[in-house]
Amino acid sequence: MGIPISLATIAFAALIHASFQLSVSVLTILSGHSIGAEHSQEKLFRLTTSFLFGAGLMTILLLASISFIILNIFGSNTPQIVWAGSCGLLFGVAVSVWMFYYRREKGTMLWIPRNIAKFLADRTRKTKTSSESFSLGMSSIVGEILFIIAPLIISGLVLIQLPPVWQFVGVIIYTIISLLSLTIVWVLIGSGHTLGRIQKWREDNKYFLQFTAGAGLIILSFFVYVYEILGNTVGGI
Amino acid sequence: MSLVVDIIKNSGTSERFDRNKLHKSIVAVCLSVRVPQGQAESIAHSVCDAVIVWLQDRPEVTSQDIRTVAGKYLKRFHPEAAYLYEQHHKII
Repeated sequence: MGIPISLATIAFAALIHASFQLSVSVLTILSGHSIGAEHSQEKLFRLTTSFLFGAGLMTILLLASISFIILNIFGSNTPQIVWAGSCGLLFGVAVSVWMFYYRREKGTMLWIPRNIAKFLADRTRKTKTSSESFSLGMSSIVGEILFIIAPLIISGLVLIQLPPVWQFVGVIIYTIISLLSLTIVWVLIGSGHTLGRIQKWREDNKYFLQFTAGAGLIILSFFVYVYEILGNTVGGI
Repeated sequence: MSLVVDIIKNSGTSERFDRNKLHKSIVAVCLSVRVPQGQAESIAHSVCDAVIVWLQDRPEVTSQDIRTVAGKYLKRFHPEAAYLYEQHHKII
């Protein structure tokens, strides 16, 4: 892949990552509890900003680690079987997203086991310091690993083919775009929008988000398969 | 005369109904949708009164019952706060 197509692929994978909602749910609870507990606007800003930075740092660490592991195992010339396997993973995750991502109940309840969801919600409500909030942001990204692993692996595979400077640019692009939904909620809360309206929008549009995440994964899978497998087999695109 | 009602929690344990606890939760949810403090206190007071009337002659109810009834009365005063109150365990 050339640099523009590589960066576009990374950006698209990051956009799919951004459509997953565990971090947004945790940020919503964190903000709601903070406002409800009469914390100052400054403290709310500190907590939510720390959360955002925690999520960003964990995204960078995960992407860098996955790229490093792939590079060490396969080198920068990744075998086609790995690309094919990654396409299969994307497809499998897409089907899982369509089938399991949201529970078929009211609200925005996610696939995660109820006792873990309760732990996460309770932990979020007990969060009072910036460092706790930072850790919570990191944990919320790890908690979604089953679904974000597919776009992360594809981005890792694409990244290791780039020159070092562009690898850095790719990581930054991925991180910024993957944090888009969190950033939007962060800005909305900071600018005085009420959580009720934000949560209502999320609930009303949850099946749309679920569909687009799954469809995005399939489109990415198809693109990578055609470009990396068929393209190289047929004679190179 | 104080009201004596046992609340069965989701975990299966029970505890006495505590008006202050309900009051605090209603105030918190009102504040989280940016209702001014005084108005939040007033709404919480009205909702607690309504829930207590509903609890008369009911020696035992579940915490979910309390939440449903409080949400129903809260909806009359502030629908957005009521929506968030009902969403409490349904966000993650």
